[in-house]
Amino acid sequence: MHPSMTEQGPLQAFLISADDCFVRQVQGIWPTQEIQWTIFSRAGAAVEQLLTDPPALLVTDAVLPDMSGETLVTLVKSENVYRQVPTVLCMPRKVLYGETDWSQMEADDIILAPFEDQEFKARVELTLNRMSRSLDANPLTRLPGNTTIIQFIKDNIARKRDFALGYADLDNFKAFNDKYGFSRGDEALMMAARIIVNTVRSFPGPLSFVGHVGGDDFVFALPLETVEPACKRLVAAFDAIVPSFYDEEDRERGSIVSKDRKGQTQTFPLMAISIAVVCNRNGSLNHYAQASAIAMQLKKKAKEDPRSNYVIDQRKA
Amino acid sequence: MTQDMRTQYKGRVLAVKNLPTLPKVLEEVTRLMEDPNTSTEQIAKLITFDQVLSAKVLKMVNSPIYGFPGRISSIQHALVLLGFNVIRGLIISTSVFDDMNKAMVGLWEHSVGCALASGEVAKTLGLKDPEEYAVAGLLHDLGKVVSAVQLPEIKPELENLVKTKDITFLQAEKELLGFGHDRVNAWLAEHWNLPPNISEAISYHHKPLSAQHYTKYACVVHIGNFLTRVFEYGNGGDDNVPVLQPHTMKLLGLNQRMLESILDKLSDAFLEVSDLGFS
Repeated sequence: MHPSMTEQGPLQAFLISADDCFVRQVQGIWPTQEIQWTIFSRAGAAVEQLLTDPPALLVTDAVLPDMSGETLVTLVKSENVYRQVPTVLCMPRKVLYGETDWSQMEADDIILAPFEDQEFKARVELTLNRMSRSLDANPLTRLPGNTTIIQFIKDNIARKRDFALGYADLDNFKAFNDKYGFSRGDEALMMAARIIVNTVRSFPGPLSFVGHVGGDDFVFALPLETVEPACKRLVAAFDAIVPSFYDEEDRERGSIVSKDRKGQTQTFPLMAISIAVVCNRNGSLNHYAQASAIAMQLKKKAKEDPRSNYVIDQRKA
Repeated sequence: MTQDMRTQYKGRVLAVKNLPTLPKVLEEVTRLMEDPNTSTEQIAKLITFDQVLSAKVLKMVNSPIYGFPGRISSIQHALVLLGFNVIRGLIISTSVFDDMNKAMVGLWEHSVGCALASGEVAKTLGLKDPEEYAVAGLLHDLGKVVSAVQLPEIKPELENLVKTKDITFLQAEKELLGFGHDRVNAWLAEHWNLPPNISEAISYHHKPLSAQHYTKYACVVHIGNFLTRVFEYGNGGDDNVPVLQPHTMKLLGLNQRMLESILDKLSDAFLEVSDLGFS
């Protein structure tokens, strides 16, 4: 079962087909607690509802009485606000041997009729997975983004698992970006992402997770007992590697000259990494917002030191 | 040498897929990787004893896939950025060519020797990041290995030329091919996005004063190469000691007293590595 089913009630899906037999087969594949189908026999009837209240999944027959399934999919996919709707097109097997230009197809997957229930189920769930991964991933680092991060944290709070959550960001990243430009800034972010991922992974455990909130903000999770050695290793690796990203003369000097927020010329030290660690001990965290609020307080403390450092939340449950 | 011939040789050289690696180093790295308590430092140290593994690691970390081409010249840093997963993949995809290894043991020893010597020179001079000078020293003859693998028909002719005419390996390469291993190094460095300090050091170690931005690197490797040959540690393909360009010492501010201290340290270091055994 895909996690998006049942989390907030059953997954709301549209099924568009004039073929009763096909509709009945699809309806029988998932129990109604997992997927709730709204059935349309014509595309026209579905479009308005699609545009005002888009479903979490769209399955459409290729042959419809009023337009082709392909046209319907194109209509949905050409609008950025509907693009994220996972869309599966069902068509007769013989289409494979026709003239279809698959590179132009906007659907996220196809299912060829006749099909077995298991095959249909597998394809739809893979499509849901693929869509959630690709939509949430940070375009630069390909790390999971906010939706996945929040889901991960909520899930672990709900299970009352002990875990440590690190919020990392880079000091003086803006000055670096301003002086060297976006593409060098992206290099530095890629470097930071690699260091965080490899350091977190080098501590085994089911909790190891890294996400990229955006910009120079990263989140990672580890078991409570490994988070401190991981922070130490992270800080050491970052400080050792970061000079390679500066021009020779700036590296020698150990600082760059750039403009501050008010447009005044100022000297900035090399980038450093600041980490605030929030701990969930014996269910001490109640909800996601609490975790991020504590992290922001700790971050202030971590930022007082211009060098790379980490601050670990010491509250007891 | 026509331009066409050179382009053809360059194409063949850059098509390199597999390079022979020391079986001992490969075995040892594999063993370390299986032990969960192994640190990146331990693996990095071992990898710096093998120019082929080192080159592979640097090529990988500086590839555009990771998003920072030409930035990383330290093996230790490369390992942190690549992670164990990728290193394991690199090790699995590295082959051992036994016959080639036997023929090239001398070159391996020479390369490790030059790495030690270059690192020692950099340390004595108080230069920043001495391990990056050591990497440059390790890779300074990489072009010879790649040519031997990619242009195998040339190798016996080169060796023959060195012997009969009593010339240096570089002279023989130039006579036969129209270019030397220093040029091959430059091609490889560009093709693999190696950082500019490593690239200049390995491309100009025979004429260090021509290096434009990282003259120090080229000079240090030039001296490292000379010292290794003076000690007769390993073999670069001929019996000659390359001519030391005195200007390089001046440029680096290397004096007689420093040189003596380097020689002392190196004689100990060479004894230590010879225990590692390359055959």
